[in-house]
Amino acid sequence: MKERKKVDWEKIEGIIKKHKNQKWALIPLLQEIQETFGYVPPESVEPIAEALNVFPSQVQGVITFYAGFSLEPKGKYVIRVCRGTACHVKGGKSILRFLKKELGLEEGETSSDYRFTLETAACLGACFLAPAMMVNKTYYGKLSPPKVTSIMSQYNKDKGETQGP
Amino acid sequence: MEEITLTINGKKISARPGSSILDAATENGIKIPTLCHHRHLTPVGACRICLVEDEKSGRIMASCVTPVSQDMAIRTDSPTVRRHRTNIVRLMMANHPESCIVCSRGNKCELRQVAADLGVGITGLYPMPYYRGLEQANPFIIRDLSKCILCGRCIRADHELVVVGAIDYNLRGFRSRPATAHDMPLEKSECTFCGTCVSLCPTGALSIGNPRYVGSPEKESATVCGFCGVGCTLVMGSVDGQVVETNPSHEDETVNQSTLCVRGHFAHDFLNVKERLTRPLIRKGGELSPSTWEEALNLISERLLSIKKTHGPQSLGLYGSSKCTNEENYLFQRIARSLLETNNVDNGGNVNGLSTMNAVAQRLGGSIPPARLSALEDAEVILVIGADPTQSLPVVGYFLKRASRNNGVPMIVADPRKNGLVPFASLWLPLSPQTDSDLIHALAAILYKREAFDARYIDRFTQGFDLYQKGLAAFDLGRASRSTGLESGLMEEAADQLQGKKIAFVVGQGVLLQRNGVQTMHALLNLALMTGSLGDQKRGIYILASENNGIGALDMGCAPGFLPGRGLVTDEARREYWERIWGVRLSPDPGLSMVRMVEEAEKGNLKALYVMGENPLRGFPEIERVRRAFQNLEFLVVQDILSNETGALADVVLPGAAFSEKAGSFTNLEGRIQSFESVVLPQGEAKPDLEILAQLAYRMGQADQDFSLLKIRREIRRVIPAYSELRDDPGQSWVTEMGDLGQADEEGHPVEFTPIAFAADRLRDDTYPLEGILTSTRLHLGSGTRTGLSARITGFSQGGDVELSFEDAARLDLVNGDQVRVSSKYGAVARRVRVKKDLPFGLVYIPVAFYGNEARQLVALTQPGKEESPGWMQVSVKVEKIENNEQ
Repeated sequence: MKERKKVDWEKIEGIIKKHKNQKWALIPLLQEIQETFGYVPPESVEPIAEALNVFPSQVQGVITFYAGFSLEPKGKYVIRVCRGTACHVKGGKSILRFLKKELGLEEGETSSDYRFTLETAACLGACFLAPAMMVNKTYYGKLSPPKVTSIMSQYNKDKGETQGP
Repeated sequence: MEEITLTINGKKISARPGSSILDAATENGIKIPTLCHHRHLTPVGACRICLVEDEKSGRIMASCVTPVSQDMAIRTDSPTVRRHRTNIVRLMMANHPESCIVCSRGNKCELRQVAADLGVGITGLYPMPYYRGLEQANPFIIRDLSKCILCGRCIRADHELVVVGAIDYNLRGFRSRPATAHDMPLEKSECTFCGTCVSLCPTGALSIGNPRYVGSPEKESATVCGFCGVGCTLVMGSVDGQVVETNPSHEDETVNQSTLCVRGHFAHDFLNVKERLTRPLIRKGGELSPSTWEEALNLISERLLSIKKTHGPQSLGLYGSSKCTNEENYLFQRIARSLLETNNVDNGGNVNGLSTMNAVAQRLGGSIPPARLSALEDAEVILVIGADPTQSLPVVGYFLKRASRNNGVPMIVADPRKNGLVPFASLWLPLSPQTDSDLIHALAAILYKREAFDARYIDRFTQGFDLYQKGLAAFDLGRASRSTGLESGLMEEAADQLQGKKIAFVVGQGVLLQRNGVQTMHALLNLALMTGSLGDQKRGIYILASENNGIGALDMGCAPGFLPGRGLVTDEARREYWERIWGVRLSPDPGLSMVRMVEEAEKGNLKALYVMGENPLRGFPEIERVRRAFQNLEFLVVQDILSNETGALADVVLPGAAFSEKAGSFTNLEGRIQSFESVVLPQGEAKPDLEILAQLAYRMGQADQDFSLLKIRREIRRVIPAYSELRDDPGQSWVTEMGDLGQADEEGHPVEFTPIAFAADRLRDDTYPLEGILTSTRLHLGSGTRTGLSARITGFSQGGDVELSFEDAARLDLVNGDQVRVSSKYGAVARRVRVKKDLPFGLVYIPVAFYGNEARQLVALTQPGKEESPGWMQVSVKVEKIENNEQ
């Protein structure tokens, strides 16, 4: 069982206040919360709805529609493995399998220390690097299991120093 | 604007610019199949079934969202269109579970209809149904989202019509489905269970939780809802002479169109309960035992006439019903006044606030001109006071929320607590209870100081403004600010919103049943006159009549002091008018209200009482007093549809018919008179109430008269001018003006302003330090006699909790879910507690109608609307925690 994350209400309220009187504020507001916290805390749905004069169900609808928003906390490092055609041909599937084993995570899961989240993407648009993956905003291409291991060790370096984001 | 001409299927037609191809086609009798489209909802083009082809470009487009343009040439049924449509239906069906045989939507399924019309039987595609669990934990709505076709009708109905916002699309692509916030079950969401989505769902994804029947009913007929004063048109489905489901009619000209509330949609299962009366009962040897109609009616007639002979007409009382039809109430009071020669007639609407309304209506010559609900949606500004229609009259709540959210109408809500309208309000005035009149005076004074009054209107329609303006000029705003607990800035802000506008006032039981109710109504009327906000149907004072025919019963003269058409009994000219019509002499005595009748029965002066369709032994305060008074009577007749608390004391019980089992008419709070026919026959030996009364009149010496429905209606049309349009066939007409204002141009009397006075201070009592406020909820109507027998309502585990503030809860060491005893000088109730963050401290909200309506026992038995009455709404209480084993 993962420990439930504590929500920094002051920070959330600050962000909401900033966007309160903007037109079309919902998505920029959610983006800022997502960026700041790594997810949109479900507890913030109601205050956001109230501030923007929309229904909570509508806020939830927007959050769940976009892949860029998540209602669950994500890891410090979000790994996206490409499942595009080129990567598939070049063995992307085995890269994903290898990562699953390495991290002990299934697709969409986050490690209990909030260090890693494993996801897949339909295409990362980097077919010339196939098989490819991204860690946060960094691309890694022409992957092989040893290369993946060395990349991952880089992200494991600071382990123990921080408690995730 | 000029009409646009275009061709559809080779036929030249014209259409309004901006209208969709679908609308243009429908208006010209060309049918295009649809699924997501509904004319009461914004078109979204979600389902693509309404595809049509542009002949010139060959483009395929959704006709519901494509506007017409000049010289367009459209094909609605070309082979290409059919091919695309067929493919869309195939895909929908491949995504749909194969459960049509057991689906309760049955032959009413629109997907099935569209598929059948296109000849799609087998999809030929790999089936990919999206299974979700069946959700049926609540007793109202069954959700089977595997049958959802994502048309979004439920979501649009939720957002656009009832403006609750409980659901929206969640996720996307294959996994997309309507969901509540946090994807909670409906009972844990904002859902109010109005069921509007259920009646709009084209498939079986949403259906009525119906333990009695699955499938399409044999017969469907229209009627008018018998619960609140809105008067929604219903379509009731029946099987074997029993109502099995209820839906809104979806007709354009009805009040509710496609909406309903939880009571109207789901509580009508009370019609089939075992407590329904099915045969006449006579008390023999202390027990009520079955008898024949002959015996029962003869007994009533003999006893009433003999008591009249021995003790005089004043010893008789008749209590008519705000739930019975106009025709029944008319005949009921006619029997009282002309046959029994007593003016002791009343109806239940008077203890639900209408007596307060009447007290001020006299200033307008008898009635406050009714305003139409539809006008709220384009009102200039709305002031809601003493009302939470989202609970009491939900359909009125929809009108208000639509006005505010969809049309941007400013809405000021004056209520001590953050009620259901506050999130939609442009301004919330959290005033102290019972200080509404001070607030209204203050607003008037501020507007007066800004010279924001309608001098032309005042000059033309009113008198006494001189005195009134002196009062306004001298009004102590500081004192009003202290008494209402509202900062002066807040009141100035309210005045800003009201200034220069015609105001629509929405007044609920919070005003009508409070101690300062009459004073508040007078203040409101002054403000309405001063701002020229009264007199046509586009604005005015909306009185939230809580029962379906309270207004009608009053119009029919079923009220003490009032003759039919709201003429005063004490007015000699009015009496003479009715004496000529009925060929009798009428007593000038105004007659007793029901509260006064109880008092007279206590003293032994009232000997006999005839109660039709009311249950005072559940609805009244000080029930033991009422019981003793009734036991003191020589003769008590109860005519009702249910065996209830009052009937248990009766000497004779007559089984009447529910609204769905008879024909008649109801008058709603807008003055809309709705005639309706029966849906099913009365149960067992029961009879329509009009027929019972007619037979009684026959036995009491009016053998020569024909009191059939048609004859009574003809008489009403002839003798009550306001009802001259009453229809014989099902449908609606309008009450024509009864007051002076309607004809004020020529013959009307000017309306008098009344002086300003501060509300009396709150009665303080150290033993009972908190202020208890009785509130109605959307689950129950009135005292809950009927809704309390609805298995769906009682099966819903929520509601009825006493609500108090965080501060009081902390002081009393209470947390959510604790059991408490709330007691006043008059009674006590034991309830679960709910701590609410938005409540002001010192207030305790106690919902009525739950648990046998024991909450009404907290207040004193007085006539609401009388000067000395403390009202039926507020009472000083104390709250104590009780341990679970103490209950």
